[in-house]
Amino acid sequence: MHNNYYETAGWWNSSYNYPAKRSVGTDPLERIDRMASASAVVMFSMSTCCMCHALKRLFCGMGVNPTVYEVDEDPRGNELERALKRLSGGPSAVPLVFIGGKLVGAMDSVMASHISGALVPLLKEAGALWL
Amino acid sequence: MASQRLGEAALSESGPSHHHHHIPYSLPHMLHHPNTSFIRNQEGSAFDFGELEEAIVLQGVKINNDETKQPLYTTVRPAATLEMFPSWPMRFQQHTPRGSSKSGEESTDSGSAVNTLSTTRLEPDSPISRKTSSDHRLPPPQPPPQMDTGSGVDSPRTGGSQTQPAAKQAPEKTLRRLAQNREAARKSRLRKKAYVQQLESSRIRLTQLEQDLQRARSQGLLLGGGGVAGGNISSGGAIFDMEYARWLDDDHRHMSELRTALQAHLSDGDLRVIVDGYIAHYDEIFRLKGVAAKSDVFHLITGMWTTPAERCFLWMGGFRPSDLIKMLITQLDPLTEQQVMGIYGLQQSSQQAEEALSQGLEQLQQSLINTIANGSINDNMHHMAVALGKLSNLEGFVRQADNLRQQTLHQLRRILTVRQAARCFLVIGEYYGRLRALSSLWASRPRETLIVDDSSCQTTTTDLQMVQSSQNQFSNF
Repeated sequence: MHNNYYETAGWWNSSYNYPAKRSVGTDPLERIDRMASASAVVMFSMSTCCMCHALKRLFCGMGVNPTVYEVDEDPRGNELERALKRLSGGPSAVPLVFIGGKLVGAMDSVMASHISGALVPLLKEAGALWL
Repeated sequence: MASQRLGEAALSESGPSHHHHHIPYSLPHMLHHPNTSFIRNQEGSAFDFGELEEAIVLQGVKINNDETKQPLYTTVRPAATLEMFPSWPMRFQQHTPRGSSKSGEESTDSGSAVNTLSTTRLEPDSPISRKTSSDHRLPPPQPPPQMDTGSGVDSPRTGGSQTQPAAKQAPEKTLRRLAQNREAARKSRLRKKAYVQQLESSRIRLTQLEQDLQRARSQGLLLGGGGVAGGNISSGGAIFDMEYARWLDDDHRHMSELRTALQAHLSDGDLRVIVDGYIAHYDEIFRLKGVAAKSDVFHLITGMWTTPAERCFLWMGGFRPSDLIKMLITQLDPLTEQQVMGIYGLQQSSQQAEEALSQGLEQLQQSLINTIANGSINDNMHHMAVALGKLSNLEGFVRQADNLRQQTLHQLRRILTVRQAARCFLVIGEYYGRLRALSSLWASRPRETLIVDDSSCQTTTTDLQMVQSSQNQFSNF
């Protein structure tokens, strides 16, 4: 899914988003939706969050390379964080995972999905995993 | 002092009867060496002012008269009524005329001064256990209920053939005052004795409680509940321990239900109800752990709620799901090929999840170490606040680990048939039951026998030596 919102060369290679030049004046939820739709696996994270680190390790261990947005490095990170918290429906805003543009959830949802065996097919479907 | 306490401890363990054996032997020493006797006087004889008086007096007397032993042995303690008049029978013959000068000193003492004096003299000895003085220095034929009365009243000033003439010559008023003082001293001695006895019994009760607590903890149960003495368990932890103990009882019930259901070959529908009930039972403990993690995550993560053997295998506050699957794989035959794939898939995904959580926790620990290490003197509070914030993330990890455990059990239920699931949960329950039993056996394993290995042999020998050395102390008497 391409979006002229992101035009930086090598965008698909980098794991980190630098939205400073874009996204001015957009509603945070819209931004989140746009960011989530941009990659197969999108994780909203914070550089200081250890649970986010755990989730990153989980994906790496499975051979998945997620696109990670460090919310605390975003100039409008606070409003992003508030929106994410609402979406997660839980105590913390991050980590929050989208696969194929659709919200999967926080750490417990991702783990439950993995244990139940639903995660891998979802990843394959989104093109994040190849057999 | 320490060795004396050892001796005292050994004696107190051997029971009150031992005191009676040793006490008579201590008397001559007390008489001949009144100073040292205050220290040796540890079998529980109450040191009181009366003895002090007598000892002071007799110190002088013994030079003159070797028969001073006599009165203490033959002393009979009269009734508790106040003896105002000094006309004592002839048995108090050996008391010295010097007593009258002492009586002068004594008469100026008020009751409280007597107390203070005996108290201050007693301070070095007070930690040592004092049994009732009725146990003390009594000739076997006469165990008197109130020796104090006698010792108090049997002051050197009152009678004795040598002193009797002197006592009769002493002014009546002085004698009455002395008697009043004696009575006051006696009363304060009795009060002190009662208080010390109370302390002693409380001390014994406390050590018993601590032993019980230790035993109960090692068996994975907590008897009693919050607010346990010692302060090393929070109320949140104590509450969880109680709930966990109840959960274990429920577990036994569920297990026997499963067992009888399998043996009775119930229909799948009926069995399903029981199996789902067991899953709900596990869901309950995870819910309780979630609540406990909010109030005392350390209690969970250090495994203080489990038995030692379980604690050995603890992973993030509970069992490691992949280990459980590994154990079950061998126990769950026969399985269809699809089921085998499912179980191996479950093992792999749980291993991946465990690995991820462990790495996340490791990063948390590293971050915490850095915060604590980099705290400067000026910025201490700030760093502490940051560290506290990081610590609060521990709760999240324990929650996620419990979530993983719960999901693993649910997935097992989905992969297996009802009957297989029933057997599977029975296996799980029995496995952890055996692990807990192992802990109990370990905690209560015999340590007194010399059959076991060297380390426990050493302990045994040391114990024996301790007891023997303390007994040797008194064999001299």
